[in-house]
Amino acid sequence: MDPRILRAARPADAWPVRPAPSTPPRTVERATQAGAPGRELWAGMHLTENDPAGKLVQLGMSAQRFTPRVSLAPPDGLLLEVQGSLHLFAGVAGLRGALLAECLRLEVRPVLAFAPTALAALVMARAGKSLEVLEPAQLTGQLAPLPLSSLRWPEYTVARLARMGVRTIGAALRLPRAGFARRFGDAQLAMLDVLTGRTAEVRVTYRAPERFRRRRELGCELENHGLLLVALAPLLAELGDFLAARDLGVVKLECRLMHRHAPPTRCVVRLASPATDVQRLTALLGEHLSALELPEPVRACELAAAALVPHRPESESLWQPGERGGSFGKESCDLIERLRARLGAEAVYGLTRLPAHRPEKAWAVAEPPSASTHRAQPGCSADSAPARRRPVWLLPAPQRLSVRDGLPRRRGPLRLVSEPERIETGWWDGDEIARDYYTAVDIHGVHLWVFRERAAPHDWFLHGVFG
Amino acid sequence: MGSSAQLARLLEHPTIWRGASAAHAEGLASGFAALDACLPGKGWPRAGLIEILVPRFGSGELYLLLPALAALTRARCARWCVWVAPPLMPFAPALAAEGIALDRVAVVSGARPLWALEQALGSGACDAVLAWARRPKAREIRRLQLAAERGRTLGVLFRPRRAAREASAAVLRLGLAPMSAGVRITLLKGRTAMRGAIDLALRG
Repeated sequence: MDPRILRAARPADAWPVRPAPSTPPRTVERATQAGAPGRELWAGMHLTENDPAGKLVQLGMSAQRFTPRVSLAPPDGLLLEVQGSLHLFAGVAGLRGALLAECLRLEVRPVLAFAPTALAALVMARAGKSLEVLEPAQLTGQLAPLPLSSLRWPEYTVARLARMGVRTIGAALRLPRAGFARRFGDAQLAMLDVLTGRTAEVRVTYRAPERFRRRRELGCELENHGLLLVALAPLLAELGDFLAARDLGVVKLECRLMHRHAPPTRCVVRLASPATDVQRLTALLGEHLSALELPEPVRACELAAAALVPHRPESESLWQPGERGGSFGKESCDLIERLRARLGAEAVYGLTRLPAHRPEKAWAVAEPPSASTHRAQPGCSADSAPARRRPVWLLPAPQRLSVRDGLPRRRGPLRLVSEPERIETGWWDGDEIARDYYTAVDIHGVHLWVFRERAAPHDWFLHGVFG
Repeated sequence: MGSSAQLARLLEHPTIWRGASAAHAEGLASGFAALDACLPGKGWPRAGLIEILVPRFGSGELYLLLPALAALTRARCARWCVWVAPPLMPFAPALAAEGIALDRVAVVSGARPLWALEQALGSGACDAVLAWARRPKAREIRRLQLAAERGRTLGVLFRPRRAAREASAAVLRLGLAPMSAGVRITLLKGRTAMRGAIDLALRG
């Protein structure tokens, strides 16, 4: 089934159903081609019986890469409006190659035809002809020899037409319109009009669902983590297509592993920045899976993208990160994800300051900073620093010190080297403190931050260490 | 024109690389003039692993680094400053008071400090990584040093004083001892011939 490219205009025949034929000279044709707004070129695909079922939707999804106007013709047809995309693929031949390569990847071998109307492209593909009809003027000529059965009219209609000796589309087009409509119905006449482009057809554009959840039954029970990742690879590849078709990125990926008896094992990958790259996702998922303990062998796996966000690709920076102010957003996200994948999400965090006098409440754990967030201008962050010195290290909870002669001890007597600083606050939320803080030096010269309660002045506590 | 002037002009050619310039790698000012004068490159190295050996935790080792960290995190295109496995919680208000931009600080706790340290050093996402590792082996320190050079990151490893006897691949090793109003620093290993002790006043 070699594609035949038809360039030369054929002389028009006088078919009654056909639109008024016109074969302008080539130069004029070029000009109208560039400027004509309504001009369309459809690629029709017909999946043969040998192709596995369920591939149509998947194909429709990956076809979004070629054009936004993808239309499904279930159960076995797919239509793409490609006029606007032709220049991106160096013409019809390039686009055909790209489409067929995509089909090969999905393990289907459809018939692919190009025509100015959607139905014509589909009918050609159904008839098994991989034609490329680029000019509307040639359309009827090319459609004429195709069998009527590829229009998928009711059996009864086709049989009646066959009895009349009408077996091809060309023969049907030659019939008088009024009589044809009376005998075979308006719907069939309308279909012929749509086929030849006499009336425009409205096709529903296929919009892929905005959720991603795929399941794969495994042929055998798997226990090996490495093999599990291999089993998940097709699902991940599908996820990659899904994301690429919509310009989406995933920030939370959930993988469920089904067992025979035990409840499913869940594995959640959280990403610091929206991910679109399948390799990156695979690496992270592998990292998570290797940390997973499986109660039983896995029989099926399910992959769900829990949180999808619009993805805006960033340009790569010229400099390496850290060099002349080169951006390091990608590296920092990678680092956070790698650390979190191995150590757990709560093991990596940022710090933030809170406006409170109580030392325990003056800071909080925050999300690790993302490199892309806009920074406040340096120089305005230290404005509200406390007047008194604070230790660089804070104990999780004050630690009681032993006391001798009214003075605190820690591996020997402590020497108080500062004036007391009273922190007395928090009466409104029941977490009241009233403390006198001192800087103390132990016998090894380590500076400590100690306090005593106002209520019980003989009890000393260690609360911080100066670095 | 004298021959020395001719030679100087010749050496200005951009394609000529002189070995001597390698030793004068651009350093990161430590904030202490006396220390800068002794350090190779007149400051902390911008890429490489250094070790600070302390008799015990809290001997003033962090105050030695804070001015440099403040400068790093407040730079316009600052990368991160990661603290790996700190023994206590860094107190955010104190860090902010020392001039450190908290939006560039990340803390990594967890079971594998050396692995996390190597990841952070080699990632290229950090300007500085501070780490408190229990007993790193000489081979692991070598790996860390290579990772730091790969990621162009300053790695600081705090270790106990007794580790001075072990060999180390770090580019710089400092011994530190607390004094009444500061610290005494001994240069244990570095790429300069400078040896001896420096006394610094840390706590104002």
